[in-house]
Amino acid sequence: MLEVRDLNIEFHDHSKPETVVYDFDLVMEEGDIVGIVGESGSGKTMSALAICGLLSRRDMKKRGQILFQGKELLTCSRQEMRELQGDDIAIIFQEPMTSLNPVMKIGWQVEEALKLHTNMTKEKRYERAIWALREAELPFPEKVYDQYPHELSGGMRQRVMIAAAIVCRPKILVADEPTTALDVTIQAEIIELLQKLNREYKTGILFISHDLSLVRKLCKRVVVMQNGYIVEQGNTEQIFGNPQKEYTKHLIAAIPGCDQVKEEKDFFHEEVVLSVKDICVSYYSSKGILGKKQEQEVLKGVDFTLHKGEVLGMVGESGCGKSTLAKVIVGLNKAYSGKLECEAGSVQMVFQDPYSSLNPRKTIGWILEEPLKVKGGYTKEQRRQKALSMLTKVGLDPEIANRYPGQLSGGQRQRVAIGLALMSEPKVLVADEPVSALDVTIQAQILDLLQRLKEEMGLAILFISHDLRVVYELCDHVIIMEKGKIVERGTPQKIYTSHEHPYTGELLKVAGIEKIAEKF
Amino acid sequence: MMKKKRNDILVTGSILTSVMLLMILVGLFFLPYDPETMNIDLKFAGISWRHPFGCDNYGRDIFTRVMVGAKTTLLVAVGTVGIGAGAGVLIGAFTGYFGGWIDEVLMRVIDALFAFPSILLALVVVSLFDSEKNQVLSLLFGSGKYQVIIALGIAFIPSFARVVRSEYLKQREMDYVKNAKIMGCGHLRIMFVHILPNILSVLVPTLMIGFNNAVLAEAGMSYLGIGVQPPDASL
Repeated sequence: MLEVRDLNIEFHDHSKPETVVYDFDLVMEEGDIVGIVGESGSGKTMSALAICGLLSRRDMKKRGQILFQGKELLTCSRQEMRELQGDDIAIIFQEPMTSLNPVMKIGWQVEEALKLHTNMTKEKRYERAIWALREAELPFPEKVYDQYPHELSGGMRQRVMIAAAIVCRPKILVADEPTTALDVTIQAEIIELLQKLNREYKTGILFISHDLSLVRKLCKRVVVMQNGYIVEQGNTEQIFGNPQKEYTKHLIAAIPGCDQVKEEKDFFHEEVVLSVKDICVSYYSSKGILGKKQEQEVLKGVDFTLHKGEVLGMVGESGCGKSTLAKVIVGLNKAYSGKLECEAGSVQMVFQDPYSSLNPRKTIGWILEEPLKVKGGYTKEQRRQKALSMLTKVGLDPEIANRYPGQLSGGQRQRVAIGLALMSEPKVLVADEPVSALDVTIQAQILDLLQRLKEEMGLAILFISHDLRVVYELCDHVIIMEKGKIVERGTPQKIYTSHEHPYTGELLKVAGIEKIAEKF
Repeated sequence: MMKKKRNDILVTGSILTSVMLLMILVGLFFLPYDPETMNIDLKFAGISWRHPFGCDNYGRDIFTRVMVGAKTTLLVAVGTVGIGAGAGVLIGAFTGYFGGWIDEVLMRVIDALFAFPSILLALVVVSLFDSEKNQVLSLLFGSGKYQVIIALGIAFIPSFARVVRSEYLKQREMDYVKNAKIMGCGHLRIMFVHILPNILSVLVPTLMIGFNNAVLAEAGMSYLGIGVQPPDASL
């Protein structure tokens, strides 16, 4: 049904042409689910956008062939392309927050494709939109039809996106990282929804992701890409079971696993560097001018202690209060009740997004020297020296001190962010999802770095994450949070093999590691 | 690294500006004629080698008056934008960064100022300087161009404050600001050392547009007879 031959994509907006995709080949039958995996910059999104006809013809040169049901898409007229888009070929993007128009009602946005591609009457369109919303498993489709995007949660918005994509019954659905911005349990639901659509309507799905475990779960065939080239493609079992190429093996090895048995360490005799007792935080929101203030409890009595050299993993979904707790610990949120004991200035933080945590207008050297400037008591040379040696410590070339954050890759930036947090020699490092914005191989490197720094400096780390496998690798203890409460705590071994709370079981199930008990 | 392209617009703009500045600079030391001496014989004299731009209705050399007037206009524009942007950045930074009641109070004042056209607002300020009503102010600032600068400067504050505030609102949520807080930076340091460089990309174009508007507003005020007072020249 879809056949791509020797697709090459070149950018032409600078003087030097830059090729981003080389010789891309792909064949998709009706009802196929094909996954494209690769790290950022591998050209996977570019190939998909080319198939959807979303690359501008002006700045790009495309060579090769894209045949959709025998029709050449690269050379067909814009009119013909528009007729296919949204009708036979539909796309879902990563970010449900920005891919819906915030000022239009959901119903209008779902019906838009019908207005363009069919002559349906208003009533027919309404029926069809409701059908699509129901297919996307949105509760109360009639109600959602009249709502605006901001009234829905992230998962619901992604369902609306799917509804809008399937409303014309497309033959191919291109899903570009559709679950990356969502919580793990919601991720699993969206994957199930895609599987159902594929089963019932024979919709072909081109699934683009950097998450290999998701691809493994969903796709029948996999294409592995690196630097614009296809490294390997074949059946899912074949690729994962018996990878031929070095790069594929490397990617699979970088998936954090839970296969090694961890030794249990005892930290009770170590110094307590952070103690949290019965922390409660509430937000107040008032409805309307005269409305009564509504209290919303975000944290309901959380307590734990952190010892020197210990890594404590905190797992939960968005809205469970883990970020709020991090803010309380580092002193960004002072409106809490309870007791927080730690040495003043001994807690530093690493944020999730290395693109926003470094000041884009300052050089790396300036950023690293800033904590020392604020602290005072260092000469200019001393500050410089310390900044440079910190760069070496986090595995970077000291020469990048003169560069700006925009000139570094995501992994390099996260290393700088970690270095920045360590400049003031803290005892506790709060890391809020420090690897979830990074590629798998980079993830593994950053985790290694944290592990090494912990051992070298005797750091205690509070590691916040939603990825149970990452937590298993790195942490000595784990606490599971749900709705502002700690529902379970213990060593990873204990939690992953013999959990007591049903929520823990659910998290383990969607992470695909419910069967870990059998391994031990 | 991206290769730097030659910026034609920048080159053209710089040449035009430097011609203007050169003329002002020469005018400080040397003028072909006295800009204020009237000569009835030369009333409306045409273009000639002696008077390249001709003469005005009082027989004064227009080229000389352009040289002098350019200086006044530049002073008014720089002064106006200086006062407007200076105060605007301060107000915008404080309201955007802190929010809360400071924001409420200051922004309502700014909203009130915004409700009037800037020339009308400048008129009100000029009338405050009226020597008969308020002797202290008129003694301090005299009349003429300094009055105009202060009047227009105040009238320009709201537009700068609005822009700067919305940028600070956006930037204060960024993680690098939180990072700075955690490492113990004071609020002032965060506002002006960490955040300010990040809003320059928005602030600089606003300054340029402000420059334009200041020149236009000054011309408007002169037309109404409350701008730069004759025999002083302005463009």
